[in-house]
Amino acid sequence: MLEIQDLAVSYGGTTALAGVSLNVRESEAVCVVGPNGAGKSTLMAAVAGGVPPRRGRITFDGKDLVGVAPENIARLGISMVPEGRHVFGTLTVEENLLIGTYAMGDRRHVSKDSELLLGYFPRLKERWRQPAGRLSGGEQQMLVIARALMTRPRLVMVDEPSLGLAPKIVDTVYDALLGLRRERGLTMLINEQSSDRMLKFSDRIYVLRNGRIQLEGPTGELQDGEAITRAYFGFDDHPAPALSEAM
Amino acid sequence: MTETPIRRILPLLLLLAVVAAVAALVTLVGGDEAQLTVTEALIRLTVVVGISIFIGNSGVVSFGHIGFMCIAAYAAAWATCNPMWKQLMLTGLPMFLQENQYPFLAAVGGGAVLAAAVALVFGAVILRLSGIAASIATFAFLAIVNNVYSNWDTVTAGVSSIIGIPTVVDPWIGLAFALIAIVLAFWFKNSRMGLMLRATRDDPVAARASGVSIVRVRLAAFVLSAFVVGLGGTLYAQFLGVVTVDMFYLQLTFVTLAMLIIGGMGSITGAVVGVFAVTVFVEFFRYLEAGVTVGESVFGLPEGSQEIALGVGMALILIFMPQGLTRSKELKLPRSKGRPVPAALTARELPAGS
Amino acid sequence: MINFAQTFIDALSLGSLYALAALGIGLLFGILRLINFAYGDLITLGAYALIIPSTEAVATLFIGNWPWFLVIAAVAVVVVVAALASDFLVFRHVRRADPSTLMIASFAVSFVIQNVILMFYGSRPKSVDLWSNLNYQLQMGEVRIPLLQIVTILATLVLMGGLTLLLKRTSLGIQMRAAAEDFRMARYLGVRGNLVIGLAFALSGVLAAVASLLLLSQVGTLSQTMGVPLMLFAFIATVVGGMGSLVGAATGGFAVAFASVFLQAYLPDELRPFRDSFVFGIVILMLLVRPSGLIPTKALVERV
Repeated sequence: MLEIQDLAVSYGGTTALAGVSLNVRESEAVCVVGPNGAGKSTLMAAVAGGVPPRRGRITFDGKDLVGVAPENIARLGISMVPEGRHVFGTLTVEENLLIGTYAMGDRRHVSKDSELLLGYFPRLKERWRQPAGRLSGGEQQMLVIARALMTRPRLVMVDEPSLGLAPKIVDTVYDALLGLRRERGLTMLINEQSSDRMLKFSDRIYVLRNGRIQLEGPTGELQDGEAITRAYFGFDDHPAPALSEAM
Repeated sequence: MTETPIRRILPLLLLLAVVAAVAALVTLVGGDEAQLTVTEALIRLTVVVGISIFIGNSGVVSFGHIGFMCIAAYAAAWATCNPMWKQLMLTGLPMFLQENQYPFLAAVGGGAVLAAAVALVFGAVILRLSGIAASIATFAFLAIVNNVYSNWDTVTAGVSSIIGIPTVVDPWIGLAFALIAIVLAFWFKNSRMGLMLRATRDDPVAARASGVSIVRVRLAAFVLSAFVVGLGGTLYAQFLGVVTVDMFYLQLTFVTLAMLIIGGMGSITGAVVGVFAVTVFVEFFRYLEAGVTVGESVFGLPEGSQEIALGVGMALILIFMPQGLTRSKELKLPRSKGRPVPAALTARELPAGS
Repeated sequence: MINFAQTFIDALSLGSLYALAALGIGLLFGILRLINFAYGDLITLGAYALIIPSTEAVATLFIGNWPWFLVIAAVAVVVVVAALASDFLVFRHVRRADPSTLMIASFAVSFVIQNVILMFYGSRPKSVDLWSNLNYQLQMGEVRIPLLQIVTILATLVLMGGLTLLLKRTSLGIQMRAAAEDFRMARYLGVRGNLVIGLAFALSGVLAAVASLLLLSQVGTLSQTMGVPLMLFAFIATVVGGMGSLVGAATGGFAVAFASVFLQAYLPDELRPFRDSFVFGIVILMLLVRPSGLIPTKALVERV
């Protein structure tokens, strides 16, 4: 469904991604694990149209996404939850939730969908008419995930949903994501710094470090965690052969 | 970085030589009118190089520097204009100014020092503001200077002109000061302060972590820059023989900023190229506005087309060459021994913004 | 007391004008981080649109002779088209630049508009008689109020009310508010960037058009820099009120007007000419003491 080939992105002089290839198949949950600064957020921003790639291809259902405006990528059915939550603080919870449906002019499923999502995040319902800026960090994270799903996207990208949240809230967030996956057959791409939770949650894992994929594989084959740790910290640090070709 | 001193100042020498050669050539070959144009361009060069000392090193856009030019120009006018006129019209001036007429260099020095002193006080107050807030404050400063000088009738003659200033500035004096401005700018840029300031511009967080006090180095640049702009102001007064407060407001702010942007904000060469390019451009359009005879008929552009063209040119540069014609790099010789000019001598890009 | 009441109404009416213009500047700043210096020239352009273009000294009314609602509509169209054109030709191409560069770009646009006006209408100021019956003075007790002041205040109230409804109640308005707060995030959610920005330019154009008509009926003279002082004070108002907040822009407009009218009334004679310096000084003070302005943009964000 999502195909990324040899994607390279740089900001000014610094290279954030140096030739990354990755794919996500229909109704899969794929996770990108990597330390801070590995390029995870850049990867998502590039897919969502937020940063222009220097090189490489990104296609979604065979459609080329490079050079397409973010709002049109959203219309193709890709929804993004960036790191750091980004609620619209002065808008109410309701307005935040509905913004995507306003923008796309598709309000057919609004009441049904919001009911479904509020079932997962009942606390949002209590705060329905309050400015989103007043919510706690956990509530904001719930809001942005619910907000991303209101437009019925086919692929949801979530950037570090557990960042800066208490473990209990992280559980709520992942329970909701898991439930939605079952209920809707949602396809997901998730960034996380730690792989522990991902080994249970996702189908496949990519390890990203220094702008390159160091390791990839189905979760089942990586259960012992040893290979991930090595790739994550770069213990056997010769650039993988595939990557030196990519340069 | 091991480099011989001569290599380090080579870009400077080159720049000085080019400016001097162009100015001298036009002055010697051209007529009276060309000489006036050259003199004015050299004064503007002094001003624009002065502005670039602050903007180019700190990355903070100042809209207020023409205010310093105004302050210095008026100071020069107070010092040099005819005492009889002063005693009649500028009764609020202190006696030592009212009763005497000071020589050229005293007026130049006094005016520039006054501008620098005002910059010291004002800069100490506003330079801890960040980016756009500091720019807005400099703008407010310009408006305050304009308001005060427009209304302080007994000292500035209000909105009317101060006249009778001896017009002693010729192309050679203009050239001398333009070269001094370039040398000062170059010296500052490569001084410890200048390097520190550009470090704070490129990465404020790291610079602060390394203990660089942003406010102090910014202030140093601000004061020096006001001083050089002030030099230009005093020259301008003694070139035109008249000062009026509205000469030093939005229009001139726009034109000098346009020069800086067109040439490239990040380098001294950029300031020089900008002044040159805009002057040539404006002269060309002035010529077209005056009318070109083709066969029997005269074609002239309507009034205002020169300004429109300048505005359009500036917008085009902002869109297509945001680093200016020089890409904000300093002039350098074609690579002789394969070694590029060290990074310290070539300006890095201005931060691309947030 | 009478004096105070008179001064108060003066300030209210001046504040209305500042608030109108400040809203126009605030709308653009909120979404684009653009401090639009050309805004004053849009106001000028709106006023010049009333007369037939010519470089002669006497102004001949054209649109200005139409019934008042047509005058407003026609001037609004002219100004909105110019505002959209400035976006289309210039600002759209420097979207990624930092605020200072944007400000300089708007400087260039301003310079061009001023000189286009100069080219078509000549440089001499022209007196124009627009709605002079508004100078009629209402007597209320001991206080005399020019009708124009009441019209100015009412027009501002109507426009502010309309703008509030638009932003709070309509789909486009909600998208605009979202974009003003976090432009990139809004686009990730499908909000069309250029639509929202175009709308912001158009709305700011409508506000400029009304401001230009009110300004012209007050001063009665066209000149190609007539909008500049209004823009400067409106700009200051947005800084004082809190850049990026529309409530702040309006509040700032009234705050600046009250400061300047009351300074004018109560400053000692010898300082009165320097009133504007005090107003600009307040701005610097504001930047230093409370950089987020009277009404900060972001709602308080609690953190876990």
